[in-house]
Amino acid sequence: MKFAVLVLEGPYQHQAADSAYHFIQAARGRGHEIVGVFLYTDAVNNANRFVSPPGERNIAQRYEQLAVEGVPVVACTACAKFRGLTKDTKMEHIRMSGLGSLAEFIQGADRFVTFGD
Amino acid sequence: MKKVMLIMRRAPYGTVYTAEGLRSVMGLAVFELDVALAFVGDGVYTIMRNQDASGLDMKPLGEAFSGLSDFGVQHYYVHAPSLAERGLTTEDLVVPAEVLDDAGLQRLLAEQDAVLPF
Repeated sequence: MKFAVLVLEGPYQHQAADSAYHFIQAARGRGHEIVGVFLYTDAVNNANRFVSPPGERNIAQRYEQLAVEGVPVVACTACAKFRGLTKDTKMEHIRMSGLGSLAEFIQGADRFVTFGD
Repeated sequence: MKKVMLIMRRAPYGTVYTAEGLRSVMGLAVFELDVALAFVGDGVYTIMRNQDASGLDMKPLGEAFSGLSDFGVQHYYVHAPSLAERGLTTEDLVVPAEVLDDAGLQRLLAEQDAVLPF
């Protein structure tokens, strides 16, 4: 089955970014396809390459690794502007794009799942 | 065309969710998607008449939602128990919303290809 995933919260403050990551990994482990992960509102902070939690899981690195492995991970361009995330401060393989990418993920998926507050 | 519904669940000010919901409706409706909006819980305050957000340094959101028909959004739904619990009626709303009970909302949700909760 093809899944699209929307994340609405940033790293650490809420569980949403962790839950979305675990959902994605579990789905991939069972042979499902993730057509796209859209990081919206505060979730764009999951794409910040300077995230560096002492002694804890690195959530931003986890999303980067998904992108490296070929899962399309997109951070909302406008949300990034609001939060000062730029192409120089974002993870290398996470793309910045607009709501057109979210529309495309919805159109290409059998199931759409949101992780938020 | 895929059916997408955005659910507004929160009061319009205090968090960014309602304003972002509005932005995503405009963003999604220009693509090949059939977009509907449902107002539930404190989300019904989002489409109340005569909002004044000037003290918050924000734009009033109610009128913005009423202008969404220009973006091809035709379907507005409001949860009747949420209105009643807050002492509101459809007369208080800026958009002509179809009123739904719990079962109606459930049916509508089941018809959607994607649901975006804000």
